[in-house]
Amino acid sequence: MKKGLLLMFVGVFVFVAGCKTQDVESSDSAEAKTIAAPTSELSTKGDSDVSMDFKTVHFAFDKSDLTDDALETLKENAKYLKDNSELTITIEGHTDNRGTSEYNLALGQRRADKVKEYYVQLGVANDRIKTTSYGREKPVDTDKNESAYSRNRRAETKKSTK
Amino acid sequence: MKKIFLFLLIVVFSILPCYAQNSVYLSISATGNRSDIALEHFIPTNKNENTLKFAGILRGIIENDLILSRYFNIIQTTPEDSGIQAMSVSKNSELAFKEKLLSWKKKGVSALLTGTVANNGDNLVLEVKMIDIVTGETIWNHKYKNKSLNHRYLAHEASDEIIKRFTGEIGIARSKIVFVNDSTRFKELYIADYDGYNLRRLTKDNKINILPKWSTNGDQIIYTGYLRNNPDLFVLNLTKSKRSIISKYQGLNVTGTFAPDGKKILLTLSREKQPNLYLINTSGEILRQVTVGPCIDTSPSFAPNGQEIVFISDRYGYPQLYIMNIDGGNVRRLTTSGSCDSPAWSPRGDKIVFTMRQARGSYDLYVYDLSTARITKLTNNQGNNENPTWSPDGRFVVFYSNRSGKGEIYIMAIDGSGTRKLVEIPGISYTPSWSPVL
Repeated sequence: MKKGLLLMFVGVFVFVAGCKTQDVESSDSAEAKTIAAPTSELSTKGDSDVSMDFKTVHFAFDKSDLTDDALETLKENAKYLKDNSELTITIEGHTDNRGTSEYNLALGQRRADKVKEYYVQLGVANDRIKTTSYGREKPVDTDKNESAYSRNRRAETKKSTK
Repeated sequence: MKKIFLFLLIVVFSILPCYAQNSVYLSISATGNRSDIALEHFIPTNKNENTLKFAGILRGIIENDLILSRYFNIIQTTPEDSGIQAMSVSKNSELAFKEKLLSWKKKGVSALLTGTVANNGDNLVLEVKMIDIVTGETIWNHKYKNKSLNHRYLAHEASDEIIKRFTGEIGIARSKIVFVNDSTRFKELYIADYDGYNLRRLTKDNKINILPKWSTNGDQIIYTGYLRNNPDLFVLNLTKSKRSIISKYQGLNVTGTFAPDGKKILLTLSREKQPNLYLINTSGEILRQVTVGPCIDTSPSFAPNGQEIVFISDRYGYPQLYIMNIDGGNVRRLTTSGSCDSPAWSPRGDKIVFTMRQARGSYDLYVYDLSTARITKLTNNQGNNENPTWSPDGRFVVFYSNRSGKGEIYIMAIDGSGTRKLVEIPGISYTPSWSPVL
């Protein structure tokens, strides 16, 4: 596994040493094309499994407390987890795009950990659950309004890929 | 009579070494008056088309460096005295030279920079002279050689030495800025020279890479990347063109920053607990947990002495700035309101720049002066302004702002003046970090 990763790194890494010598205008065309590619947001692309089995819960601004709605949703998720005891999951915490990158990474982690804590309370084994955070880096809605913000403040429960 | 002659001889030879040793600094203050200087057209040593081209390009790069340094006014020729430039090209008759100096002197110029450029295909040589306008003496001269491909670096090297000669301070023309851009739909690292040239993409992961930070000597960049779908801490070794994972605990491995000795990294790990600060070595082994407690502690930055850190904590409900000793003792709160983040300790150790949002406001940049405990606001009504980091000379900051309607990277002087956009690039750019002089 480690070797595979290392190979990937070598494969994808663009060597920098030449950077003193090349102006942006003279960048090779492939690079220029990529830079000019139309912007569509990252959203959920680039990730393998968007699970239909689990429901996402949402949070109030700058909060990681579980709302009554969230508690109900998580109970359903936990029931599914107990019915499918072979499943391991990763909880991804997310924030809206207000606030700074650094703080939001921590806030997202706190949200994911709150969800995990509740799953464990409901009887899901601790070692079946991982948590992680994307902070504000992976919004589902890039609009700048309250409805987009509230959709982005979320914790997603996903089957672990492995 | 002989004795007098001998005496004169001794005087002359005791003065000469001052110039010979290149030890003369023309003094100008960092924030005060600028020096009025002239930068003549560089003279090509042959009629070769490339030599001609490089003479123009090199002078242009150096002129821009000197202007960006904000130490100088570059006094320009006017149509009436087009003769000045002609004279510099014409034969160096002493009379013409004196007339030229006088003409610059009338414009208030205190020093004249001249250059000659030689180019034979792959190799480029630039000789720069700094001439005292009153005496006509060459105060300093130096030859710079490099591959023609590296002509921007060659010019920056000359600029940095000119600035050193004038101010005694380091020039920053050979520094670079790394930042994140999302124009590929993903979030990749990009690098550009401090003047916006030589823009290159560093990563091609089709993932999220954020919060890059330079190592102390500029040969490495650490950042948080989601290659494994978790925010792990990576290091790019720029000289070996190699990258590896430093820290990959489940959960946060974020806001990593190098200690000034380059051997330790301070970062936030969550490790299935609360996000706290940890000191690790460059192999990722935990040396010490630096903060403890059920709150968010993140965004650390070292004081240049390596003994103290500034970081943010929401231990009293909202993110505020704190300083503490690296051993965890002597915690002091710096701010009393707003939501703060991204503190960066200045290279001189006297200031901390950070971003703060007051209720219902946007994020603005502020500077905290450590000796007076006074906070000065640097931006106002210009959208959100975040992630400031210092130039190596501590006179500028690079930061993110969405003042234009989209997120871009800007540079400004630390008094809040002279803001310029780093580079025009599609997509949103953010979380910049300024390298040391490379």
